[in-house]
Amino acid sequence: MKLTIRLRREKKLNRSMPVDLIVFALLACSGAFMGIPFVFMISTALKPLDEMFLFPPTFIVRTPTLDNFYDLFLIFANSWVPLSRYLFNTFFVSFLGTAGHVILASMAAYPLAKLKIPGRNFLFTLVVLSLMFASQVTSIPNYLTISWMGLLNTYWALIFPAFATSLGLFLMKQFMEQIPDSLLEAAKIDGASEYRIFWQIVMPIVRPAWLTLIIFSFKGLWGTGSGSQGASYIYSEQLKTMDYAFSQILSGGFVRSGPMAAAALIMMTVPIAIFIFTQSNVIQTMSTSGMKD
Amino acid sequence: MMKGVTLLQKKSLLGVLFVSPWFLGFIFLFAIPLYQSLVYSFNNLVVAIGGFDTEFAGLKFYEEIFYKHPTFNRLLMESIVDLVINIPSIVIFSLFAATLLNQKFRGRVLARAIFFLPVLLATNLLTIEQSSDLATVAQTVTGGVDGEGLKSSELEALMLQSGFGSGITSYITGSVNRIYEIISHSGVQILIFLAGLQSVSPSLYEAAKIEGATSYESFWKITFPMVSPLILTNIIYTVIDSYNYNKLSVLINDTAFKALDFSLSAAMSWVYFGVTSIILLILVRAVSSKVFYYD
Repeated sequence: MKLTIRLRREKKLNRSMPVDLIVFALLACSGAFMGIPFVFMISTALKPLDEMFLFPPTFIVRTPTLDNFYDLFLIFANSWVPLSRYLFNTFFVSFLGTAGHVILASMAAYPLAKLKIPGRNFLFTLVVLSLMFASQVTSIPNYLTISWMGLLNTYWALIFPAFATSLGLFLMKQFMEQIPDSLLEAAKIDGASEYRIFWQIVMPIVRPAWLTLIIFSFKGLWGTGSGSQGASYIYSEQLKTMDYAFSQILSGGFVRSGPMAAAALIMMTVPIAIFIFTQSNVIQTMSTSGMKD
Repeated sequence: MMKGVTLLQKKSLLGVLFVSPWFLGFIFLFAIPLYQSLVYSFNNLVVAIGGFDTEFAGLKFYEEIFYKHPTFNRLLMESIVDLVINIPSIVIFSLFAATLLNQKFRGRVLARAIFFLPVLLATNLLTIEQSSDLATVAQTVTGGVDGEGLKSSELEALMLQSGFGSGITSYITGSVNRIYEIISHSGVQILIFLAGLQSVSPSLYEAAKIEGATSYESFWKITFPMVSPLILTNIIYTVIDSYNYNKLSVLINDTAFKALDFSLSAAMSWVYFGVTSIILLILVRAVSSKVFYYD
């Protein structure tokens, strides 16, 4: 107990108060920049219709109401495909796509970073180059490929492209490269198989990396259904995702502005929840993971 | 299991096994489409029964881009300049923010979430929303902040008078004007740096502390070298991310899906791809010699 107190005091000695304050102020300022649109979104979702189009707009809602959410669910109550189906579709696609992407990318990244396989530099150059290419160009050939594989109008049309994205591979490889070779050698000398080294040593060490990758991948897949891809790959209404349903139903224009704000807020909450969940997990592993040498 | 296979071959076989699921997907969903887009850029596409036929056109589309297209050259230049200014600014800002957010304080998950918000806000539904009446309202509130509030003409005059070169002055004032853009595009980079900072072993800091290093010293001697490979990662990510918001990709997209000129659009993106690859190659060469790998 005494020791910890002394340590804390020493830590404070190392820092200067004014610099800390300046740093905090800078962080708070830029944080406010980021926060403003979100606060505005929440307050818009709670605004009644007459307040929504006030000019100048009120930044904080004056008479908060849940009418917008109520209206949104009322719209869905009459839809042909129930809301729960859209929900299921979105979750299914996002979770499966994310899981597959993270696992496949990590598995592919390990040999590229740490094993001597023929042509690994060439392969990695290919990965980086592929990241450099604007995705719009390949969208038409992509459609043809998906259709050729017979995946059109199935969940797999949304999930498979996520598997093959090279961003995850690139990120995981960069992180795995930082693992000291001596650690892996030690494991090898102790008789661990490559498979075991991968799952029990490499993956726990790069845990912060794949938790971060989960966020990226999930965020991407969460909104995939309403993009040009999602809209053209899947044409059965019962396979469409939530964001597509929202965007379609809410394209009604002016009158639907209220439910639209509510829908935008609802769509935001899940990625934010995932973000907070994974990030707080990172903190917990921090003390236990890490290399001892 | 297998006879006549050396240990080395067996090991590389395992590596190949690990890579192959991803690689198959990559071939089908990326390499083949990419090759096709290259073919399109050299050919006229003629609609035929059950698809389209190609008709060789040589360099016609590339000529059209550079000599005839009204905006392509300007947009290309703009996006290159943007990229060159944004890369260092974003990388420095995100390293700075990540170091701060990595410290132990109350509500730091929340603080991180705030910095990641712009990335989440950029999802598709929100872009649909932006095109509506609501967005104009939103922009009068949020857009006003970055547009009017942060003009740097005074700073520019001040810096020029105190004898800074005009190059560095325009770089700094340029970055100041872009503050909002930079902050809102560094969410992912901050997270990447954070993940890197978290995999730095605490024992290194402990040892440094026992040896009497100040936190300033331990930042430059431990933190910075340990995350330096990620600087490269973030540079590359920044380039990739720029495709999502710059005007040139909008032009490429519009040429393909509004003007329905796929060949021209394919040619445009190959030019763009070539230019960014060259920039990236120079950057990677310059940075990777300074990168530290823990061994």
